[in-house]
Amino acid sequence: MHTDRILGVAAIAVAAIMLAFGYGLEAPFAYEPTGPRAFPLIAAGMIALCGVILVWKPGEADPSVPPMPGRAIVALSGLLLAYALLFQPLGFVIATTVFMIPIAMIFGAKWWQGVLVGAVLSVSSFLLFDRVLDVVLPTGPLGGII
Amino acid sequence: MDTLSYLIHGFGIALAPTNLFLATIGAVVGTMVGVLPGLGPINAVAMLVPVVFALGLPPEGSLILMAAIYIGSEYGGRISAILLNVPGEASAVMTALEGYPLARQGKAGIALSLSAWTSFVGSAIATTGIVLAAPVLASWALAFGPVEYVALMVFAFACLTGLLTDQPVKALLAIMLGLGISTIGIDANSGVYRYTFGSPNLVDGVQFATVVIGLFAISELLIMLETMHAGASVRIQQLGRSLFNLSEMRFTNAATLRGSLIGFFVGILPGAGGTVASALAYTTEKRVVDKTDPEGSRFGKGDMRGLASVEAANNSASNSNFIPMLTLGIPSSGTTAIMLGVLTLYNLTPGPALFRSQPDLVWGLIASLFIGNFILLAINIPLVGVFARMLSVPAWVLVPFIVVVSAIGVYSGKSTTFDLVLMVGLGIGAYFLRRANVPMAPLILGLVLGKILEQSLRRALSLSAGDVAILWSSPISITLWAMASAVLLIPLLMPRFRRWREETMTETD
Repeated sequence: MHTDRILGVAAIAVAAIMLAFGYGLEAPFAYEPTGPRAFPLIAAGMIALCGVILVWKPGEADPSVPPMPGRAIVALSGLLLAYALLFQPLGFVIATTVFMIPIAMIFGAKWWQGVLVGAVLSVSSFLLFDRVLDVVLPTGPLGGII
Repeated sequence: MDTLSYLIHGFGIALAPTNLFLATIGAVVGTMVGVLPGLGPINAVAMLVPVVFALGLPPEGSLILMAAIYIGSEYGGRISAILLNVPGEASAVMTALEGYPLARQGKAGIALSLSAWTSFVGSAIATTGIVLAAPVLASWALAFGPVEYVALMVFAFACLTGLLTDQPVKALLAIMLGLGISTIGIDANSGVYRYTFGSPNLVDGVQFATVVIGLFAISELLIMLETMHAGASVRIQQLGRSLFNLSEMRFTNAATLRGSLIGFFVGILPGAGGTVASALAYTTEKRVVDKTDPEGSRFGKGDMRGLASVEAANNSASNSNFIPMLTLGIPSSGTTAIMLGVLTLYNLTPGPALFRSQPDLVWGLIASLFIGNFILLAINIPLVGVFARMLSVPAWVLVPFIVVVSAIGVYSGKSTTFDLVLMVGLGIGAYFLRRANVPMAPLILGLVLGKILEQSLRRALSLSAGDVAILWSSPISITLWAMASAVLLIPLLMPRFRRWREETMTETD
């Protein structure tokens, strides 16, 4: 029940942001009667409506939803975010090796298994994608060596 | 007879060495991914979007590959359901109901080969249905103008909210969020920047691959963390006799046929994919058997008829899903929505005109569905033991693999840190939405259809100089509006339907 209320409030907040940034959208020259802001504002209105319904009449809590393992979720989200931010500066090989170790360990790997996964994945996928498939991956500080 | 010559032409394309190779790879990879618990067709296809571009495939090649992965993972989904009672995806829930008891009786091998066979029959019937129905529907849909398109898309959204879930408000919310995301970027009509917040990264909108990978692959990792303990110790049942015999086949023939037909018709409806089809086939089969079989049913305790009808329906629906996607440009499931999104990345406009303008693509895809099903049957019966071994891949290998493939995929598009961060952010957001039971498939449909819906709406209103009455001015559009209201109102007016839906549809994406 609480989840639905929170969802409803979040939906209303999203709609408010869409309204605030969408209301001022106007075309300097109008070629057609609708204009660029009607559609986003309709979507915002519908999102707000859904939000109000969810706050007003939240459904019963679903007992099948498992409890959230809070610390593990925060840790994994943080690691993923850090990986995304450092992917370019550190380069693919270093970033992948460094971050896949703790991610593997969250999912039950021993530290040496994590190191193995990180090293094998980073080197093999760099070779496969960068060298074979021509997907340019960042090299980072290793730029001169590989 | 036009159709026949086009179909032969399509087989020529699908049998070209590259495309045949792609279909085989797709079938194998799809089955492997489908076996993995938690990963279904939609995750597989989502992660593939950027890879397809990295490979530099032509549009028909990438569609053939994605379609093979899609139907392959439907085949694979049944393996973990039967052997472990862990459905890899929502549409395999019903498979586990009969398949797992059979496996416990030492008949796992029979259950697997029989379900591979009925999957094949279901797919073959549905693909034949595509050949017969799609060209007719496409030529009929050529008469659709912007007005009809608006009504058609509203009907599709109504189906999504009315049929798919027990919580229509959340499905509607998901659709609207998808529509909202589709408005980000420069407006094609007026050149106005919408919701770019001054960032150059958002000027041409959010990359499609970033959104689908974030929503499906990244959020799935967080869900896997949640349910990790569930699949920790797996004990795979002995396979036993590996092939079904003729009397078992005769015993299930009628069920297979009924399941295939139910699946075919359900799959055509927008929003109703394998999940609805397998649930409907299962309940129908149970009722039929209870009435006609003097010995009564053993449903729930390992009845092969239940298994046969569910798998036939599930695969039939995933194939007939292609009908609305190809003929109307309206995908009826999350997975076909992603494929449609890929078509637009190739600057192809999905819709009835594809049959005229891209016969290679359309007929090559249809022919490759036939071929893909033969490949799947051929690899699934002898190699089931090999695929079953995929179940013992530990999460700590699988998760880093998914992270790396996702990151490379997203990075390959524009090579920006922005897209990587957005992918993770969307993934975390999607995780909370999924925890709150908001289905993700409607969001993708909203995203894919958003631009087309807005353009159709604006074109229609330009024709009428702003008068909204034009939206219900033609017989076709009036019919579609009426059907949309019916889909939304029937569940409200029929408590019995509602109860049935609540019982059968606990999971929705």
